[in-house]
Amino acid sequence: MKTYSHPEALVETAWLTDHLQDPGIRIVESNEDVLLYDTGHIPGAVHIDWRADLNDPVIRDYIAPEKFAALCRKNGIDETTTCIFYGDKSNWWACYALWAFRLYGHERVKILNGGRDKWIREGRPLVREKPSYPETTYPVPTARHDKEIRAFYEEVRAFLTTGGPLIDVRSPGEFTGELLHMPEYPQEGALRGGHIPGAKSVPWKAAVREDGTFRSAEELSRIYEESCGLSSDRESIVYCRIGERSSHTWFVLTYLLGHKKVRNYDGSWTEWGNKVGAPIQRP
Amino acid sequence: MQNVDPTLPLRLQEIVDLFQNLPEEEKRELLIAYSDRSSECAPKEGETYTLSDVRKDQECTDSVGVFLKADSENRLLFRMSLGAHVQTLTKAMASILCQGLAGSTAEEVMAVPSSFVPKIVGTELVRQRSQTVYYILARMKSACRQLVAERRRAECVGSTS
Repeated sequence: MKTYSHPEALVETAWLTDHLQDPGIRIVESNEDVLLYDTGHIPGAVHIDWRADLNDPVIRDYIAPEKFAALCRKNGIDETTTCIFYGDKSNWWACYALWAFRLYGHERVKILNGGRDKWIREGRPLVREKPSYPETTYPVPTARHDKEIRAFYEEVRAFLTTGGPLIDVRSPGEFTGELLHMPEYPQEGALRGGHIPGAKSVPWKAAVREDGTFRSAEELSRIYEESCGLSSDRESIVYCRIGERSSHTWFVLTYLLGHKKVRNYDGSWTEWGNKVGAPIQRP
Repeated sequence: MQNVDPTLPLRLQEIVDLFQNLPEEEKRELLIAYSDRSSECAPKEGETYTLSDVRKDQECTDSVGVFLKADSENRLLFRMSLGAHVQTLTKAMASILCQGLAGSTAEEVMAVPSSFVPKIVGTELVRQRSQTVYYILARMKSACRQLVAERRRAECVGSTS
């Protein structure tokens, strides 16, 4: 029976309940809903907002390494801390935050399987008290690992010529061009609809069960490897609208299926679909 | 009262005043408190409504229902049903607006400018989630427009029969 390539990248709710006090871990909540953390969170969890904390406030890019170090320091995270991410929407933003942490070279990262909804559904405790941790001395990362796990527009254009697999994880309506934005987010749309030529449509949701937990390794392998031709050593690029749903698929491919060369094109459709002259395919 | 907006119903103006000078962190806490009370504006058993509009729109993560009850002077009472995945800010705005617009007429609700929203929510949250914070007001205005249109239709039918 096929198993996850990196089962250690997932923790279950029961395990976390027993390890809430572990000094070597930091539980990090990242949500779509900006006030959700304030309404109650896992005891000891800190909040990292994808936009306010991880994105540069002016330029469309991630924060500078100095700011990342400051973010970690103030949340009591040092370079040996294992960060366990969880959040709403089946862990979209948790995966996005995890991927961003990897950009700065923080390798000790895990996802809470099933996310916030599963934790609540199981009646596990939530608190409103915001924890405070002693400031750490997290070193400023010397580089950002964009090359390994992030793809830029020009790189995607070049990748198209190789015929390499490109996975579009948006909803079918966005893929066909029928929708210019994700249903709930009309302000984050594009001027043109469709998909990057040659991309295969595998909505992010294919990777999770009804309860938000990840599908088994066998099921994931059937979806991404057998049906789409992805494999462990083959380069692949995933994209969505702004990079959050594709972070989810990036996590699945990288950690659960063990693919070594997966990059997230976070510019995604909000860049491609607005770019003058970018090639677009519609069915 | 400070920076009074003549187009805001008095009750809503009072809530705006309450929020306006709070620091960002306390604004968030008050928003959570309103969100916690959002179930109080749910439709009540046995209550009948002049108009109801329940749907899941593109702007929202779950279904939102607007229920309107007009008294003999056309003063309105609002109720709102909010699906489990409706975001916290949306719940808070529903709670604030049900309270702040109670007793207003449909015309008064339609005239409410959205410029009060940043005073409640704070500019930072408005910047991050512009659609979410304006959504409930838009739905209430839409229900009021529908109510006014139906009233006019009824008047036309009445005058021709």
